[in-house]
Amino acid sequence: MELTDEIRVPAPRDRVYAALNDPEILARCIPGCEELKATGPGEYEAKVVLKIGPVKARFGGVVKLDDTNAPEAFSLTGEGKGGAAGFAKGGADVTLTEDGEETVLRYTAKVEIGGKIAQLGSRLIAGTAKKLSAKFFSCFAEELSQPAAG
Amino acid sequence: MTDQTMTPEERAASLEGMGCRRKRVEDVRFTQGKGNYVDDIKLPGMLFGAFVRSPYAHARVKSINADAAKALPGVVAVLTAEDLAPLGLHWMPTLAGDKQMVLADGKVLFQGQEVAFVVAEDRYTAADAVELVEVEYEELPVVTDPFRALEPDAPVLREDIKDQKEGAHGPRKHHNHIFTWEQGDREATEKVLEEADVVAEEMIYYHRTHPCPLETCGCVASMDKVTGKLTVWGTFQAPHAIRTVVSLISGIAEHNIRIISPDIGGGFGNKVGAYPGYVCSVVASIVTGRPVKWVENRMENLMSTAFARDYWMKGRIAATKDGRITGLWCHVTADHGGFDACADPTKFPAGFFNICTGSYDIPVAYLCVDGVYTNKAPGGVAYRCSFRVTEAAYFIERMIEVLAIELGMDAAELRRINFIRKDQFPYKSALGWEYDSGDYHTAWEKALKAVDYEGLRREQAQRIEEFKAGKTRKLLGIGLSHFTEIVGAGPVKNCDILGLGMFDSCEIRIHPTGSAIARLGTISQGQGHATTFAQILASELGIPASDITVEEGDTDTAPYGLGTYGSRSTPVAGAATAMAARKIRAKAQMIAAYLLEVHDDDVEWDVDRFVVKGNPERFKTMKEIAFAAYNQAIPGLEPGLEAVSYYDPPNMTYPFRAYICVMEIDVDTGEWQVRQFYALDDCGTRINPMIIEGQVHGGLTEALAIAMGQEIAYDEMGNVKTGTLMDFFIPTAWETPNYITDHTVTPSPHHPIGAKGVGESPNVGGVPAFSNAVHDAFRAFGLRQAHMPHDHWRIWQIAENLGLHA
Repeated sequence: MELTDEIRVPAPRDRVYAALNDPEILARCIPGCEELKATGPGEYEAKVVLKIGPVKARFGGVVKLDDTNAPEAFSLTGEGKGGAAGFAKGGADVTLTEDGEETVLRYTAKVEIGGKIAQLGSRLIAGTAKKLSAKFFSCFAEELSQPAAG
Repeated sequence: MTDQTMTPEERAASLEGMGCRRKRVEDVRFTQGKGNYVDDIKLPGMLFGAFVRSPYAHARVKSINADAAKALPGVVAVLTAEDLAPLGLHWMPTLAGDKQMVLADGKVLFQGQEVAFVVAEDRYTAADAVELVEVEYEELPVVTDPFRALEPDAPVLREDIKDQKEGAHGPRKHHNHIFTWEQGDREATEKVLEEADVVAEEMIYYHRTHPCPLETCGCVASMDKVTGKLTVWGTFQAPHAIRTVVSLISGIAEHNIRIISPDIGGGFGNKVGAYPGYVCSVVASIVTGRPVKWVENRMENLMSTAFARDYWMKGRIAATKDGRITGLWCHVTADHGGFDACADPTKFPAGFFNICTGSYDIPVAYLCVDGVYTNKAPGGVAYRCSFRVTEAAYFIERMIEVLAIELGMDAAELRRINFIRKDQFPYKSALGWEYDSGDYHTAWEKALKAVDYEGLRREQAQRIEEFKAGKTRKLLGIGLSHFTEIVGAGPVKNCDILGLGMFDSCEIRIHPTGSAIARLGTISQGQGHATTFAQILASELGIPASDITVEEGDTDTAPYGLGTYGSRSTPVAGAATAMAARKIRAKAQMIAAYLLEVHDDDVEWDVDRFVVKGNPERFKTMKEIAFAAYNQAIPGLEPGLEAVSYYDPPNMTYPFRAYICVMEIDVDTGEWQVRQFYALDDCGTRINPMIIEGQVHGGLTEALAIAMGQEIAYDEMGNVKTGTLMDFFIPTAWETPNYITDHTVTPSPHHPIGAKGVGESPNVGGVPAFSNAVHDAFRAFGLRQAHMPHDHWRIWQIAENLGLHA
């Protein structure tokens, strides 16, 4: 499954990139995130509760950040396991483009899912994934529209 | 006496015997919700089992940690392969001569494979505990494509047999190869193909689907530690075979095992095999000393217990310029999934697929089937068909259509000129079968006339003109199908399952007051056996059908039989019923002669009595004879009136049918609508026309499902994409058309009552009729072959690829 989208964030690029590296902001914005902690440079461990159709499960996973070209571009890879509910793994390529005082964030994510969540039919999963990413970015944009000190 | 006033015809009618549209006696309980299914069984102290299943299609199992699950209050046990290994039960034999993991032994081979079995006080606790079992997997490369599986560098799926060069059905030529099965004359067929005027070649795919019975598979196992007797209630289509298999793999003596099939909510082949759930429930009951129930949910049913089809069929058909078929060549790549658990008679690893010459007089033919392992669920059962017969029917009925295109001929005419003629029966087919009887031309002419075939073709031609002129966006398809089935397995000389000959049985006891009980080795799953077998007995014994109880499914009381599938109940157990009844009648004749004080030869049978020849006023009814059998000392005769028959059929039976489907197709949306469906069935002697019509309606509706949308689809990771009824198509009243049923009667010459079996014919013949209608709608625009299922999206794609949306 591939997801692409483009979001305009009302903050300069450096602040956007910094926020994307801030476990606290991420934990607040990732839907269903119960725990997110940095385990090393560019490495996070997360616990997320996901509900897709009739399946609700706690996923435990790791995310790695490749910041070679940051802040213009960076990529994420990760995988999560939800026990009987299944598993997910994937990656995202993100670019941050400055546009005056704002930043345009574009991402292409590739997600592979398996187990019960995959069996529920790709239509349901694609819709849910789109909804979740939209939720994340709208929360993220809102976080950044607060004054810098906040 | 009152019945002296009745004519013989009236007396016969009052029996409600063969030919009577008798209402189903089963429906009294079913329509009131009073059926007794496996999940209705509740025993004191009963525990519930549930499986931890693999989310991966191919992975190594690194570790299983059940501590948290075991700590959950209400959890009694968690079984893994390690627990079953000391008993030798972590693997079990399959019906196809392979073996299958009961619980994952080091690796998993398909998504949904059983990894651990949780046993708890109630179903909810079991489900919660399943979530708490931590399994560590290491992913392995997944192969879902059987052609990829046979490439030299394909991952090894079955590590347990990777160096084994010989399988249950001969040599294996690759680590993912199961068997090669060849039939017919290859050399002669290839010579005919080389020299033929016309050769049509096509790859026909019959996709993977699933029987999906309304009731899923399940069982209740109860080990009585005092008596040492194991009782298992389950959704078993073959209870006696299950008893023998349980005895062989568990080591429990067969007399200490009682298998009971209660009411079964549809089987369609899904309930023929032995599943890990049965083994685990039995083990759990032995370990805990308490009854254990296991019942699948719908997702488990669709992703783990027996699928059907998944045949890639490459065909070449040769003909003269004027359409006489001269030869047929076929190679099948059969995707069997992770274990070979097909339910076929032992000597037939591809079932009766060699019936693929169909209704046609084809002088030479060659067939080769290669079975292949992939990372998909095991199975390969006969979903409402005799073993692999629906695949064969679809193959030949598509090849005929492709040949008609190649020849530029009308497909109905091409069929007609190639049918086996009535005077050719018994007909020996090029692939080895002896067709018992048939009259294809009469049936075909009747069908074409009934739908006004010529008129339909004229309407279709006009529609095409209107479409081209932009006046309509709907096309008309006329789907033809004429197929000969092979059912009633089967003669013990060549048909067995795990060494058990495929005879069947009936035991009859006539009570002193003239009513009766009959027990059979088969088991109804909705076919209405209690109704129809009583009708056979009514006609044979002169006892009203309503005075006869038919009982099946309890191995402690019923005579041994191989069960119900492959339309074998009427051809085999129905024959046993008639033969047992005739034994009773022979004894009844002696009793009557004694009572009437005449010689045995001086009485003759008359509907429900023996009469003195030439003196019909002197007679003894079956009722009187029954009473005498129990209260008179008759010289030279034992008391009582009972008989049993084990019937080994001399041949299969070969029912046939002519189906025509008229379908409207919307080119822009891919939507279809069946405007008319005409179904002519010839199943030989008709026992209960109403039940036959019901069977035809049901079978056609399942055929509609398969042809038009139903599939078990996998993605590249081996995820089952159609694991719920949201994605797995089951037609509702909305999609289901009105069927017109019709019949001809060509009795089987070797069956005691001439019956051939009907339950599965409509599915076998229906699939090509629906699919051919879709193909036919687009024939004028150049369509040759489009794989099923023909859902709206795929039909839209056909139109798109043909440039009809421009």
